[in-house]
Amino acid sequence: MKKLIQPFATINKQTFMIMVAVQVVITLLLWQVLSDGLIPKPGKVASAFINLLGTKLFLDNMLVSLLLTLKAMLYSILITLLFAYLSVLPFFKSVALFIVKCRYLTLTGLIFIFTLLTKDGSELKLSLLVFGIVPFFVTSFLAVIININPQEYELCKTLGYNNWQTLYEVIIVGKADQVFEILRQNFAISWLMITMVEGLSMSEGGIGTLLIKYNKYNDLTNVLALQLAIFMIGLCFDYLLGTLRHWLFPYSKLKTAKAK
Amino acid sequence: MTECIKAEVVLQANNVQLTYDRPILRDINFCIKNIIRPGVEQGQVVSLIGRSGIGKTQLFKILSGLQAPTAGQITIHDNKPVKAGDMGVIFQNYYLFEWRTVYQSLLLAAKKNKKLAGKEKQTIDQYAEQFQLTGHLNLYPQQLSGGQRQRVSIMQQLLKGSDFILLDEPFSGLDVCMLDKAVELLLQVSLSDELKTLIIVSHDIENSVAISDTVYILGNEPGKEGATIKKEIDLIERDLAWQKNIKHEKRFLETIEEIKGCL
Repeated sequence: MKKLIQPFATINKQTFMIMVAVQVVITLLLWQVLSDGLIPKPGKVASAFINLLGTKLFLDNMLVSLLLTLKAMLYSILITLLFAYLSVLPFFKSVALFIVKCRYLTLTGLIFIFTLLTKDGSELKLSLLVFGIVPFFVTSFLAVIININPQEYELCKTLGYNNWQTLYEVIIVGKADQVFEILRQNFAISWLMITMVEGLSMSEGGIGTLLIKYNKYNDLTNVLALQLAIFMIGLCFDYLLGTLRHWLFPYSKLKTAKAK
Repeated sequence: MTECIKAEVVLQANNVQLTYDRPILRDINFCIKNIIRPGVEQGQVVSLIGRSGIGKTQLFKILSGLQAPTAGQITIHDNKPVKAGDMGVIFQNYYLFEWRTVYQSLLLAAKKNKKLAGKEKQTIDQYAEQFQLTGHLNLYPQQLSGGQRQRVSIMQQLLKGSDFILLDEPFSGLDVCMLDKAVELLLQVSLSDELKTLIIVSHDIENSVAISDTVYILGNEPGKEGATIKKEIDLIERDLAWQKNIKHEKRFLETIEEIKGCL
């Protein structure tokens, strides 16, 4: 027990799981006790969550949002890789650095410009989402490139590689697993933005649209149930991308020496 | 004294200097000659010894072509200035591409060697057997022990086909048992080809001298800034080269004391 509140103490997996379970139970109890008439109690939210999962409305809207997110992620990662790889060329370094700074631009202020540049709501949502995600992806990938161990470059040089071969070996091949890690870490950002951009063009639906509708009618029980569903799907994707990374790049999960 | 002939110069350092905000290295002049022993095919083993912080790593980088000197140059064979890729380089921590299996890393190196064209796989298998790594070819570097990484690093640079193998502190961080193995391994490498030249940059005097034929001592001279080669010791002349169990001989211990006195 004492270990749980000691700095840098390590606890076994079983203890950790028990600890998490206790924390969840305490949170639920506090929620149950402290919630008044306006905030629905956990049981009510759980019941609404189960009902929501079985409805066609939820499934259709979730599918719309997932497809849009995946599409945006795909475009974003392609743009990111292009600019991140090119950033090692001095000519493109400034462009990559500018993209990084674009994190400070708000999407709300650019909606009108994007509306003029795109032909329909679907394109508008996609382009806004891509514009919102790319700076975060590029920031993460540039951090990976900047933190590359200089010995990786030196080993390439000692093997007689030219600069292009070094770029291929160290950054493109060597950091391929990091692309998945960046995707995993930044999926949350795109998932966060989807609810916002879907509110701009509601005709195609999506969980963002659904959330706005529930909010509009003060249906807090369904809002929380939907939030729970969004949270669960986010966790599933987090796990899926992590597993995919380990499967595609087995070295990414190697930490202990097997051969001695 | 063991009979030998010192033939042509294989590597030469001419007035090498390195200055940052102050001189680090100055007037580095030495040459390594191809040593021919009748009936024995063995390359040269040269040690550059100096105390910690003297500029050994800088000299290592200049020798490997990874860093350009402020003045002077390193030339190999026919007076050709050394450039990155000419030397086989074994870093202190035996760095390998973490995303490549041992076999993939070795294949990348073998493909750089034109002499091995078409027979890369057989050569890798031969080396793996020689270096006792046959069962480890499909493992990633993270799955190897320090000694195994060292052997893979050496194999990688040997497969690349360079005549020179530069080693930065090859004995550092090894326990007593591994030290003996490392010494044996380096002797094995030097025996692999008559033209193979091993350059060991180290502060481990005893182990470096035990396997070398020539020792260069890097140090500072009174009143002068920057390290230089203070002394060259020809271990062949002293009959200390190429002898097993030399470490217990009195003349070996005297040489060690002499080197320590120069540092």
